Amino acid sequence: MYQYDLIDREFLADRSAEFRGQVARRLSGELTEDQFKPLRLMNGLYLQLHAYMLRIAIPYGSLNPSQLRRLAEIARDYDKGYGHFTTRQNIQFNWIKLKDAPDILDKLAEVDLHAIQTSGNCIRNTTSDPYAGATAEEVDDPRVWCEVIRQWSTLHPEFSFLPRKFKIAITASAKDRTAAKVHDIGLLLRQGRDGRLGFEVIVGGGQGRTPYVGPTIKEFLPTDRLLSYLEAVLRVYNRHGRRDNIYKARIKILVAALGAEEFARQVEEEWAKIDPARADLPASELARIRAAFAKTPFETLPARSETFEVAKAGDAAFARFVRNNVRDHKKPGYAIVEISLKAQAQTPGDASADQLEVVADLAERYGLNDLRVTHAQNLVLPHVKLDDLPTVFAALQAANLATPNIDLVSDIIACPGLDYCALANARAIPIAQDIARQFADLDRAERVGELKIKISGCINACGHHHVAHIGILGVDKKGEEFYQLSLGGSGAEDASIGKILGPALPADRVATAVDQLVGAYLGIRADGERFLDTYRRVGLEPFKEAVYAQAD
Amino acid sequence: MPRLIELADGEARWAEDGFVHLADEDPIPETGDVILSLARFEAEGDALLSSNARRVGVRIESHEEVEVLAYDLPRIALVALAFPKFRDGRAYTSARLLRERFGYPGQIRAVGDVLQEQAGFMVRCGFDAFEPADGASPEAWTKAARRFRHVYQRAADDRPAAFEERAS
Amino acid sequence: MKAVTANRLLDGEVVFWKSGQWVDRFGDAQLFDDHHAADVEAAVATGKGQPTIVVDVYPIDLIQSEGRWAPLSYRERIRALGPTNEPTHGKQAEGGDVVAALRQASGAARSTGRVDLIRRK
Repeated sequence: MYQYDLIDREFLADRSAEFRGQVARRLSGELTEDQFKPLRLMNGLYLQLHAYMLRIAIPYGSLNPSQLRRLAEIARDYDKGYGHFTTRQNIQFNWIKLKDAPDILDKLAEVDLHAIQTSGNCIRNTTSDPYAGATAEEVDDPRVWCEVIRQWSTLHPEFSFLPRKFKIAITASAKDRTAAKVHDIGLLLRQGRDGRLGFEVIVGGGQGRTPYVGPTIKEFLPTDRLLSYLEAVLRVYNRHGRRDNIYKARIKILVAALGAEEFARQVEEEWAKIDPARADLPASELARIRAAFAKTPFETLPARSETFEVAKAGDAAFARFVRNNVRDHKKPGYAIVEISLKAQAQTPGDASADQLEVVADLAERYGLNDLRVTHAQNLVLPHVKLDDLPTVFAALQAANLATPNIDLVSDIIACPGLDYCALANARAIPIAQDIARQFADLDRAERVGELKIKISGCINACGHHHVAHIGILGVDKKGEEFYQLSLGGSGAEDASIGKILGPALPADRVATAVDQLVGAYLGIRADGERFLDTYRRVGLEPFKEAVYAQAD
Repeated sequence: MPRLIELADGEARWAEDGFVHLADEDPIPETGDVILSLARFEAEGDALLSSNARRVGVRIESHEEVEVLAYDLPRIALVALAFPKFRDGRAYTSARLLRERFGYPGQIRAVGDVLQEQAGFMVRCGFDAFEPADGASPEAWTKAARRFRHVYQRAADDRPAAFEERAS
Repeated sequence: MKAVTANRLLDGEVVFWKSGQWVDRFGDAQLFDDHHAADVEAAVATGKGQPTIVVDVYPIDLIQSEGRWAPLSYRERIRALGPTNEPTHGKQAEGGDVVAALRQASGAARSTGRVDLIRRK
């Protein structure tokens, strides 16, 4: 893993001191709320319904055990004992006091964590594949490029006051676990015919009130030209993105207005004027960063573990966990373990301080000190020996962290919704809990197979409802919470935007409606079809019928 | 009117402002240095520059592109880049292009909603004169501009980026 | 009936106007009759003049529930109670009649002053 050096640490200390000064000036009245708000947002501090919310960056979703323990400590000392992992691999605390925020940032900086650029109209935390460095699917380690971008984008002097926020995702696997195609920029690492590495560059994807799957504007960008090309994209956007209407200010609107071809042409024109010797990262620095990620101390192990096989044969619960939450590792004798934060009655993505500490201990004892956060709001131990899996499973079980439902119907993405968020129109969490209860039977959930349900409490779409197999959007209908269902979206490599099923439903109808949709799918699916595949084959009608027929 | 702060050798100081900002309807004074809008500069700049020894600056609004000044830059004494709101970040691009692409050596002045919180970004992009709207003192400006001991990118200032520090 | 609410600058806590002061509990809030619109405006103006004490001051509409007054919109009820997914967090933790009445209130409609939400963060 990448280790911060003195430069990174002094930078964080300076940032923390700056924010402490800004808070003091706000409290004294020297800064007005209008002046202060963008400053606190640039440090991830929002004012929500009940308190301030602090969003802490987890660069490319990667943490070490001491960082996770520090997050647990902050949850306990400054919050109400829990944190919430987000779809952009960050963590949020819901009950923060403004007066404590500078102390919290100091404590975070001690373990190389911060909240820089977790809000505001700047380049946000770059997200990546939670299986990076562990999966055999990848053509390169995407974390290398995420770290390059982390440094380049941190307090970028030219791109800190963009028309709107700016999100980048990088993946190096054919299977996309980052939702790259619905980011402002999605970078897909590819191997060229000559073996050289490059990025397919997707620009202008996004969700919110105008969802787009982003178009490819460059098929193959040589990796060593990444920063100059990003500079060109950001410069075209900074100059030409709309600033007159907040709803039309994202880059997706500019790309759609110009057309992908014309946007690409403008980027190429700008790119040609940029001096690569100044804008691109020198090979020596790239090698230094790459080396930091190449040091994972794997052991040489046999591919088969007797301990693991015996446990799997003898314990049905463990076998189910393995089926659903354990993935193949590139190294023989290792596995990738997903830790679901979607237990029955749990708030999706929430973890208690105690749970965070359990996971930190497991990462330290059995996981090569490595931990990841997924875009689906779960955690990952990327490097666990097959031999240790039964022990890890037992420890997870004891902490209510062994729910075997990854990518199944109850592995629901949900934004905080109106229970916490000042922007929400409706609650998202109770709907997720209702649906999870409806599908509590794990045998049935497994029979249904991969089904991605995502819930947003407003059109800003933090819960990614547009790219869900079943998307649920909370709306305010004459003062009551209603929910609009959409089908057929995907945030993965087969990205698409979902289509609205029909009129919005009241809260108490949503879980039943999902059940009806699943029932319809089970009735018409062909062999091997996921819900999404069946929908794509048969279209909206049979599903519409299943939900609305009796209602008339 | 905000007072002028100039930055030289990393130190911000109060400066006497020899220039007058002229609105498009204002008459051109007999003598003295003036800052004109781009439109007025394009219409009257040639005459002004050739008729007497006064210095001429041009004010570029955030939606205007500095590229249009490319051929005139050698005879322009200063470029004032406007921030209609501090959140409008287009002037940062304009400043970098003036310094890094066109090698402009004259003054680049930040005007409009210019706040000390943005001092660090402005200085890095090549601004060297400021008309702060928040009444910030030169001391506050110097401090804000020097807040960070390290930077992560190359820009229009000569500060070494983190990767250059590491290599040295 | 109306009340006036805000968030306290120092900790973000939801507060309500009560005769010149800011109080934590909705049950302690001053209630304004609809024909006392000028008093509501005066309270909001006073709050807006206290930028180092509170932020985001606005009036909310109330309805009757279980013989008590409750905020009309469910958003404001959640502000007055705490998150529904964590019934022991926030103001609702102390329980009592007022909390029970707030939880049972229904017939919501969006309160005034809550438009253009995206700019509010």
